Amino acid sequence: MGKSRKTVQIVILLAVLIIGGYAIGSTLFAADNKGPLKEGDKPPAFELLDLEGNARQLSDYEGKAVVVNFWGTFCPPCVKEMPEFERQYAKWKDQGLVILAINLSEDTLTVNNFVRRFDLNYPILRDVNRKTERSYGLKSYPTTFFINPDGTLMEIKVGGMTEVEIDERIERLLKL
Amino acid sequence: MLVVENTKCECGHQNAIGTVLCENCGKPLEHNEVSDLPLEMRYDGVARRSQKSNPNYIDRIWNFFSSVKIAIYLIVLTFLTAMLGTIYPQENTFINNFDPSVYYEQTYGLPGKLYYLLGLSHTYETWWFIGLLVMIGTSLVICSLDRVLPLYRALSKQQIRKHLQFIHRQKTVYKQTIALDEEKWVQEFGTQLKRKGYRIHRDGSALLAEKNRFSRWGPYINHIGLILFLLAILARSIPSWQMDSYITIPDGDTIQIADTNYFVKNEKFTVEFYTDDELPEQLKGTARAKLFETKAVLYECVSNCSDQTRKPELVEVKRHNIIVNEPLTYKGLKLYQFDFDTTPRLNAVHPILVDKKTGEKYGPFDLPMKDSALQHKLGPYTLDLYANYMEFAIGDNGEPTTLSRDPIAPAFVFTVKGPGLEPEGEPYMYFPMQKDKVKFSQDVINHAVADKIEIRVDGMENVDFSEASTYLNVRMDRALPYVWVGAAFSMIGLLMGSYWQHRRIWLRIDEGELSLGAHTNKNWYGMRSEVAGALQKIGITVDPKSLDNGGNNA
Repeated sequence: MGKSRKTVQIVILLAVLIIGGYAIGSTLFAADNKGPLKEGDKPPAFELLDLEGNARQLSDYEGKAVVVNFWGTFCPPCVKEMPEFERQYAKWKDQGLVILAINLSEDTLTVNNFVRRFDLNYPILRDVNRKTERSYGLKSYPTTFFINPDGTLMEIKVGGMTEVEIDERIERLLKL
Repeated sequence: MLVVENTKCECGHQNAIGTVLCENCGKPLEHNEVSDLPLEMRYDGVARRSQKSNPNYIDRIWNFFSSVKIAIYLIVLTFLTAMLGTIYPQENTFINNFDPSVYYEQTYGLPGKLYYLLGLSHTYETWWFIGLLVMIGTSLVICSLDRVLPLYRALSKQQIRKHLQFIHRQKTVYKQTIALDEEKWVQEFGTQLKRKGYRIHRDGSALLAEKNRFSRWGPYINHIGLILFLLAILARSIPSWQMDSYITIPDGDTIQIADTNYFVKNEKFTVEFYTDDELPEQLKGTARAKLFETKAVLYECVSNCSDQTRKPELVEVKRHNIIVNEPLTYKGLKLYQFDFDTTPRLNAVHPILVDKKTGEKYGPFDLPMKDSALQHKLGPYTLDLYANYMEFAIGDNGEPTTLSRDPIAPAFVFTVKGPGLEPEGEPYMYFPMQKDKVKFSQDVINHAVADKIEIRVDGMENVDFSEASTYLNVRMDRALPYVWVGAAFSMIGLLMGSYWQHRRIWLRIDEGELSLGAHTNKNWYGMRSEVAGALQKIGITVDPKSLDNGGNNA
């Protein structure tokens, strides 16, 4: 009797440890994932098409410094920033800088006309039905996410930037 | 130093440590004082399972949770901390882009900031609150197990002939001298008790009558229910077990429900209001909704679901007209009508091209506001879409621009080729909405071309627009059935324990001296009158009150 009682005790306490551990653990884990994105967080994954129709994922650029910029033709500061990003891209691409400019779910002709007008060479990705924009919790445009090579957010910049401001952040991102 | 307690009864039975009444004969195992007060009958006087003379560390943890006192502390602590969560609204009551780090301080000032910083803005999801629930669950399991097993054992092998002290120290006692034949008396009394629903066990001149023992299992069944309930609540944290989100769907659109394989189409949203005739006097002239209805179709994606380069392949799985309180349900997924927006949205127009010289009409052609075909051929004319704007405006630099991405004031710029036009084509600007045509003076912009051709829409049947958008609340709660099962068990256990009483009567006749003791777990009044009633039937009249031997709740 004594032996089986001990087994029952151990089985029950183990079950408590596993179930309770899972329940408590998941609340601790969920606490990190809740709320808006912060510096140091891992940005949400996405898979979007570029203008050539190739699917690109954020994870394709693991280990690289990535700038994710959300833009639309209807947002004047975004329009102003795009050629600046182009110049920055030309300046830093040999150092491994990746710029992904995610369009805010506009239609193909609008995006194509815009890109042609400014002759942009970095990948322009097309969000569909505002899905990616939502997962990044965007509230206003433009918003730019600077992602460290280790995949964590270095900075979230809401609103337009001057070219000097972009340059300074990219330098920090590339750890120069 | 170890002191081994002597737990051997005078009847020769070796009892476990912590035993109050000998498991065999029922003699009270009191060492210090000999009392004649009513006995403590809880758990029939058996030792709790975990009571041990030299506990190790596992036993210590076990004993901690086995204590009812600890269980009560835990429950009170949980109640008190649960109250904290009701001071300000919890985070999960807000929808859409809500930033708690700002909200609480802005709305409630310093207390709000502290509330947020202490994590009380999500009290019921904090590690310590869940921890308390886990501890209550553990305590439920261990407390029950430690008591139900010994109790079960004690009740299934009851000794019929109990120790005289045991009988005399019950709360309901009757003593009498019997002149008749002992065996016959016991036989007759037994028959009377049997009529009252007792099971009779006899051992010569001793008798044990018992009824409704099952009510003793009520609390434990209730506990099983509560444990199931708790487990179900905890199971909600398993991914995909619980979901509570909101989607907006304009008429005619199909939208994916985030984090699922499902797509929902809103075929048509309808809102009806009461007419003034239907409203009482004080409500006349107000918009009172009579009906919100979304004709919804649920699709499941079967292939190309995560492939962005191809269109997902959808299969219709359910069609339902969602109205308030009648959600679309499919495999645990529920879509509730939540809100609506009656701002119309232009989706497409089907304009025609008119040759102003000949009066000839060509078309109509399909011109959606978004992602239109880039070329339209209409008889001898070719229209190349050159640019489009969702909300047309002239920017600060004098160039055309769009102010938003929603078709609020759409404009299209075509290069038109055809009879009477320049061979390389002439630009033509087209505003589908009449108000914009006037506002931006379409004919002036198009000047010369405006005299040669016109693009226009003939009749409302050639305008495709969404009258409204529906807001649906998407819910999924796989834990709910288990919550119900738990609640049902809990209720059954509660009823078993509350509406029936476990009653037992012991009696023995020693040389003409009748000793009768009776015990019930509640309703002593009923117990006494039952004993008195049975005695009455065999010719002994006693006042039920006189059977009372004192003690609490007697």
